Amino acid sequence: MSIAPKPHSALLIVGHGSTENPDSSTPYFDHADEIRQRGLFAEVHCCFWKEEPSLREAFYLIDSDEVYVVPDFISEGYFTQEVIPRELQLSGPTTKIRGKTFHYCLPVGVHRSMTDLILKRAKEIAPGVDPATTTLIITGHGTGLNQNSTKAIRDQVELILASEAGYAAVLDTYMEEQPFIAEWDKMSLTPNVVVVPFFISDGLHSFQDIPVLLGIDSEIGAAASQRQVFRANPHQLRGKSLYYSSAIGTERLLADVILDQISDFDQLNKSL
Amino acid sequence: MSTAQTLRKLLESGIHQIGELEIQTNACSSRYAICHTADVELSRQPEFGGLAAHHGPSAARDLSTYAADGTYRFTKGQVNLVRGWVMLLHTEEDLRLALDQFYPACVGLFIAHQHGTLEIETLRDKLNRQTGMYKFARSISDAGAQELVQKVCGPAHQCAKRILWQIDPQTPLADSEASRYRGIIGEVPESAAIPLLCREACNHFVAECRQAAKAEFQAQSTAET
Repeated sequence: MSIAPKPHSALLIVGHGSTENPDSSTPYFDHADEIRQRGLFAEVHCCFWKEEPSLREAFYLIDSDEVYVVPDFISEGYFTQEVIPRELQLSGPTTKIRGKTFHYCLPVGVHRSMTDLILKRAKEIAPGVDPATTTLIITGHGTGLNQNSTKAIRDQVELILASEAGYAAVLDTYMEEQPFIAEWDKMSLTPNVVVVPFFISDGLHSFQDIPVLLGIDSEIGAAASQRQVFRANPHQLRGKSLYYSSAIGTERLLADVILDQISDFDQLNKSL
Repeated sequence: MSTAQTLRKLLESGIHQIGELEIQTNACSSRYAICHTADVELSRQPEFGGLAAHHGPSAARDLSTYAADGTYRFTKGQVNLVRGWVMLLHTEEDLRLALDQFYPACVGLFIAHQHGTLEIETLRDKLNRQTGMYKFARSISDAGAQELVQKVCGPAHQCAKRILWQIDPQTPLADSEASRYRGIIGEVPESAAIPLLCREACNHFVAECRQAAKAEFQAQSTAET
């Protein structure tokens, strides 16, 4: 989907960030750079919950009177429904704050165009591997606290199954709730397994916790930036060929999904 | 007037430093050049005195993310910015982009402060909005928070920001080197620098509050048993 240039508007990309992991915010800055280079907006900024600039400092970054806020989050949930609106003082899809108009878009992870990114990533890490002999696993965090955190992944599974991708099986798995990623080999009936972490950044989960759960690492390793980012695929583990991807959010083309969410916002809200 | 245009006016008025950065105008073969304040002399030599030259703002994030020993600079007010580079920038917009990577929002915060439109948050407001495991931070005592400012903030503890916030609307920070710090490194006069402003306690301070609150709770529990 293409988006008309908005030379008088700002784009504010909101991420979580981390005071411990320098890789956590890298994708957000990459997405901002990508969109900035396309010259679609007057200005493109990032702000974070756990890094600088904070969400409340973001107001002082922006010159434009119209601001599109896109949560660079993987699912709807506590952060996108409570923390971000509260911190930015948003009261609905469109809010006027101190003379500026803020449009609050849906998080990137729930957009249907994420499907193409997942399939692109799966093909890249397992080139030449026949999908008919492959189980594609999309894995996320999972938490009993919020059903929405798994919904985005389950939706992607449905979309891929309905597509012509041709995978023998497409499964959702989680770190902390069933079905557990640690049991990937038991739920995969094919000789090849592709695992795509449904996270924005290569933080603690995708590059430190999940490799241990998969059996690639025996113990938690260093942060992604301090080691080989793309592991040597395939890993011969538990009688199968396992292909493990970096987090889906590290895909630079996630910038397109940010733009898709803005386009959808305009269609839904500005035509009313 | 845009932030970038205001920045140009600030530079024309004689401002040339922000944090550990020196901003040079019409030097080093480009409209703007920034480098570590300790590298200014080198940057003026042929071939930039051996400094690594970066064209455009894209290297700013990497340069601002890691200290010379490779550690993560999780707050950007830390006074351990890596040396050995010069960044050449052709427009105010690119300069502003670079500065926002090194010192996020600090130009905008300064302009708002000058105009009297900067909203400052008390520590209590910040702590009361924390979620998850950081919720416990809100139970820290005022005395504990005051002590932490002196233990965590200010240049003696690697932060070069000027604290604007109070504990709550009625409780200013106790006088200390940290609370008095003006947000400008070195002896540079205020008319020549953009100060680093701290309008809300940072996440590092919040994490420290959580630890201190836990210690207070532990000490109280021990005293009662």
